Amino acid sequence: MDFELLFSEFPSLTFDGIALGAIYALISLGYTLVYGVLRLINFAHSEVFMIGTFAALLASSDIMGINIEDEPISGAKLILTIIVCLVVAMLTSGIVAVLVELVAYRRLRNRGASKLATLISAIGVSITLVEAFRIMTDSLPREFPRFFEKSFIADIFGAQIRNDKLLVIFAAGVMMFVLDQFISKTRIGKGIRAVSQDEQTSVLMGININKVVTVTFLMGGLMAGAAAFFYVLVYENTSFRVGFFLGISAFTAAVLGGIGNIRGALVGGFALGLLEVYGSVLLGTAWKHVIAFTILVLVLLLKPTGLLGESIQQARV
Amino acid sequence: MKKVSSIVSAIALALGMTVALTPTANAACAGKLKIAYQGPLTGPEAALGLNELRGVQFAVKKSGLDIEVKEIDDQGDPAVAGPIAPSVPQDECVVALVGPAYSGASRVSLPVYLSAGLPIITPSATNPTLFDFGGKIFHRAVLTDDYQGPALARLITSKVKNAKVFLINDASDYSVGLAKLVDFTLGSRIAGKETTPQGTTDFTSTIAKIKKSKANVVAYTGYFSQAAVLVKQLRDSGSKAVFAAGDGVLDAQFVKLARKSAEGALLTAPAVPLDAASPKLAAEFKKTMGVEAGVYTTESYDAANFFIAAIKKGNKDRASILNYIKKNSHKGLSKTLKFDDKGEVAGVDVNGFVIKGGKIVLTGPIK
Repeated sequence: MDFELLFSEFPSLTFDGIALGAIYALISLGYTLVYGVLRLINFAHSEVFMIGTFAALLASSDIMGINIEDEPISGAKLILTIIVCLVVAMLTSGIVAVLVELVAYRRLRNRGASKLATLISAIGVSITLVEAFRIMTDSLPREFPRFFEKSFIADIFGAQIRNDKLLVIFAAGVMMFVLDQFISKTRIGKGIRAVSQDEQTSVLMGININKVVTVTFLMGGLMAGAAAFFYVLVYENTSFRVGFFLGISAFTAAVLGGIGNIRGALVGGFALGLLEVYGSVLLGTAWKHVIAFTILVLVLLLKPTGLLGESIQQARV
Repeated sequence: MKKVSSIVSAIALALGMTVALTPTANAACAGKLKIAYQGPLTGPEAALGLNELRGVQFAVKKSGLDIEVKEIDDQGDPAVAGPIAPSVPQDECVVALVGPAYSGASRVSLPVYLSAGLPIITPSATNPTLFDFGGKIFHRAVLTDDYQGPALARLITSKVKNAKVFLINDASDYSVGLAKLVDFTLGSRIAGKETTPQGTTDFTSTIAKIKKSKANVVAYTGYFSQAAVLVKQLRDSGSKAVFAAGDGVLDAQFVKLARKSAEGALLTAPAVPLDAASPKLAAEFKKTMGVEAGVYTTESYDAANFFIAAIKKGNKDRASILNYIKKNSHKGLSKTLKFDDKGEVAGVDVNGFVIKGGKIVLTGPIK
């Protein structure tokens, strides 16, 4: 138990934990949105994320013409590159998420298949996508070019603030705010909340359930795509199995915060990011999942609906 | 008691059936001769298996002989290897096998191949106990882990003055085993230890510990993809500690992924990369196979060539090929393959490497 290190490095560790948590939170939104509407754990969501990382990679090399060996860029080109890669990753993941729903879930849903059948279908899609990318990438990880020099730009209360992580935290915050506004303010957002409250009644009220489901998957996919870009920006690599580990963490975050609850996913994501960083300093990295899951179990024992309760509709503005 | 005896008789029956079903070593092959390759060809470990498979395919292609390479995918997993192993020797045309790539899969497969008399040379299974499972059909083209751990420790102490080492493993069997031997050899020079399970992407806390320990060497015993992530984050944090690692990291991919951060890294391996052994052949490999050679490609190429040499001398069945590789030696790219009575190669060293100018440079055997 290395408390000394935890206390001496607490501010920096907290900053790093928040940056990691921001990525978890963005991915976990996809799990929670889909669960809220369909009561389905979308196991293929981790692969939606994985495909986003490859889309960001292709955008940087094929659209922006940046090679791995290139020196870091700056100024207007840097901003443009970041925006292009982010948008491409988000759109790709969004479209993939919608396609997954169309191909693997919609038909089952329309035919009234059991939740179990849909779950198996989700696992099947996940394995198919992972193996397809494994074959396409020769099982090798791929590197991502360095867009800008990573440096410590500030020291706040002893926390060393690194530029790329600060950007991720800021941008993720903006995304989450926009999504929150979308769900609570727009017509289709209200539709999503209505379906999550009571599917049959909302259909009777004239809500187009298929449209709601498509938009839900799209939103989840967009957020996963953003997370994918931020992930490669910070960690600068990806592989066909990148979604597996992050997917499990993000799913845990969703459950921790209260699956089905958007703000719960955010809280869960940040909480898990911090827990993993603090836990691995205290007991060693090998223990971080033990710590995270022990706390998850404890939270669920005391509050089975997770930290913030289970439904989207409870996330009021 | 009855239950126990029925289980015993069921096992006896199963064993009897295996023996009855497996063809004898002298069974005739009607068609093309086949050299099998066994290792992970799908799943998370597939990169290593594909490196090796391509080494075998390249050797067969260059031999000009009409031999088929039979691919056996065990995913590097004993649970997968167990059920498929009995079907391998059933094909009478399979006269030799390169592999299995992993020690766990070897343990379950070797007894089956022993009963079928199928000669094998593994290019990469490094667990020291494998002879006990394969007996006379077992041969190994690399040194075991017993040699590599101490060699890595010696490489560190010879290259870094007053080395204080922070030792990290990735929780895999290979990594934990290697780390133990490094730990044992370095003794009081170990400044700290950490386990970062495979799949860890964020090394924030590990790096905080490394800095606190004031270590000037970070020794990592896992595989290349994670090593690249670790070394990058280490350099981004401002640390200048020397990075050292074993054969799991010795791969051109490591340099490609970590780029500048990989510079100066010290590596060891009982293996020789193809471009260090023969740049000309490495270029030819890339042209023929379409991808670059990886770790253990050279050893697989050597193993396959030993079998090919046996076949070229007119040995066309398992027994005579086994006899040939027992009695003869083969001058390979990585080393001369000459097996002792336990199937191990003798008189070779673990090699040291340093990453310089974006290339893996062989520094020679570690004394």
